[in-house]
Amino acid sequence: MNAAVEALGFGIVTASILALASVGFTLQFGITNIFNLAFANVMGLAAFAAYSLDTWTNDIWLAVVVAVFVGAAVSLIVNRLLLQPFIRRGQGAFGMIIVTFAISLLIQYATVLVWGDGQVSYTIQQGVGGKRLLGFVFTPAQLVIVGGAVIAMGSMHLLLRHTKLGKAMRATAVNPALAGNCGIRTKRVVDVAWAVSGALAGAAGIAFGLDTASFSAYTHQGLLVLIVAAAVLGGIGQPYGAMAGALVIGISVELSALWINSAYNDVIAFAILGVILLVRPRGLFGGTFSTQEMSA
Amino acid sequence: MSSAVQFYLAGVLVVAGVTIIASWGLDLQLGTTGVLNFGFVVFQAAGAYTTGVLTMGPASEHPGLSYIAGAHLPFIPALLAGTAVGGLVAVPIGLLGLRRLRADYQAIVFLVVSLIATDVVDNTRGFMNGAAGLSLVPQPFVSLLPVSPTGYLWAYSVITFVLVLVVWLVLRRVTESPLGRALRATREQEEAAAALGKNVNALRLLVFVIGGALAGLSGGLYVGYLGAWAPSGWLYPETFVFVTVIIVGGRGNKLGVLLGALIVPAFGEVSQFLPNSSSALFSGAIQWMFVGALLLVFLWWRPRGVIPEARRTFPAPASLPGIASRGISSATPGKQKFEGVSSE
Repeated sequence: MNAAVEALGFGIVTASILALASVGFTLQFGITNIFNLAFANVMGLAAFAAYSLDTWTNDIWLAVVVAVFVGAAVSLIVNRLLLQPFIRRGQGAFGMIIVTFAISLLIQYATVLVWGDGQVSYTIQQGVGGKRLLGFVFTPAQLVIVGGAVIAMGSMHLLLRHTKLGKAMRATAVNPALAGNCGIRTKRVVDVAWAVSGALAGAAGIAFGLDTASFSAYTHQGLLVLIVAAAVLGGIGQPYGAMAGALVIGISVELSALWINSAYNDVIAFAILGVILLVRPRGLFGGTFSTQEMSA
Repeated sequence: MSSAVQFYLAGVLVVAGVTIIASWGLDLQLGTTGVLNFGFVVFQAAGAYTTGVLTMGPASEHPGLSYIAGAHLPFIPALLAGTAVGGLVAVPIGLLGLRRLRADYQAIVFLVVSLIATDVVDNTRGFMNGAAGLSLVPQPFVSLLPVSPTGYLWAYSVITFVLVLVVWLVLRRVTESPLGRALRATREQEEAAAALGKNVNALRLLVFVIGGALAGLSGGLYVGYLGAWAPSGWLYPETFVFVTVIIVGGRGNKLGVLLGALIVPAFGEVSQFLPNSSSALFSGAIQWMFVGALLLVFLWWRPRGVIPEARRTFPAPASLPGIASRGISSATPGKQKFEGVSSE
């Protein structure tokens, strides 16, 4: 029983990291129809930029800000300089996936070239000062991760539902041409969406780095399966679906570790993904961008 | 030529032959039919593991290794088994992934399959010796071929290219036939192909299996050359090496893909001569960045590759009696060409 509660606690932390990442991932797909294979690499790059700053200034909060900023900047640049030009050239969905893969290679190995492939960790002490909360034991870092994710998700909700920008985003996601004709500056909306999703990638990147204790240039890439599973589970392109998907995937992955080798985490996620694709390919939830037709 | 250079060249030839066969298999799916199989390397691995264990003998003969289905088969039957397993593995994966989903959605499913497959094999030591992988795979035909390492490698490269030729002949029967037309129609206009009575799902599954078998064949040949096979050698980016070969060479064009299979690895070799290349980490990273850059450059400036797929044209029938009798006649009967299915 105790082990189960503990696993549930881990699950909540994993779900928080996944929620940050998969909402960002799904936002990119919802607004621009791009399945961004480079997403996890942006996370890794942001985590390493934060690592450099952390070792230099010893200030983890500054590192968090840097991770968010680097994620947003890289994401914005990638979209502006590479993705949008390729789309304007008429590259189809097929070509765009390959483009994002090429970008993922470039970012991944640029990270390796700069920071090497060794294990690193942030300067904060890991696993000390565990606090008991609602029966779970969380380290301060984990509390920050969960709290940060909750705040980020709340902000996303406010952004999408209660601001003009959010309304413009939803309109652009559903029908860019119509949104443009209504006077929405869709190019700017797309830019903002990519910056926001990049910021989420950066936050998820450093959160994952904090949670795993030590990470290498290849670690974040391993999250891709879970991110995709969470996003697809919730219905790709739908932020609220991604939040729910992250919760389901994160908790079931950690709980399943009670019975089977945790090396098979991805397999659990994939089993859930497989079942969803077989029974309900458009995902569990309708939501913000639900008018999009997902299964041809 | 010194023996070392000869040894190097023969090895390059073997790898080129393996890459050509695999890329043709992927091109049948991706170029000809429009199935985005981003997990292609899994089928190559299936063939390599099968061929490997079937020639290595029972696991009890190798104290350090643990794997299943060991046997002492000669290389040819083991290679055929590897080919068959590549095709067989494609059936359930194809049935799962080739459902009525958007093409990019399908691609992600196959990509995830690839990630999961390495994960499972990596962590299941009793299956194919886990992360350490197979080693000590015996050299094929070692009793029949020249004893010197260089002579042996030349002979093996000849065998590889004989198989390249065989695959070429088989693939021509597939693509230059009514079946090939149906495949291209599936790629261009799924609905139209279906309306003409083509079972597009069955066609996709068919190329998935044929491509899987070719991947299995290439894997078997590759493991015969390498003598070892481990999960770190078939991570999902390896599929994109074949994708790069196809994009660079020209998707849907076998000769183009063959050229691509020679060009892309050559770019990788170039990075060996850069300063600082003594570090394996550095040159490995640079090689992958080359692949990424090559993809972007070709997709931007030459998206149809070095040798683009031929635009297919079909002569109109000399007379169109059914139409003519109703008083409608073509302006220049017999000379007008109908644009056939073409890419993009």
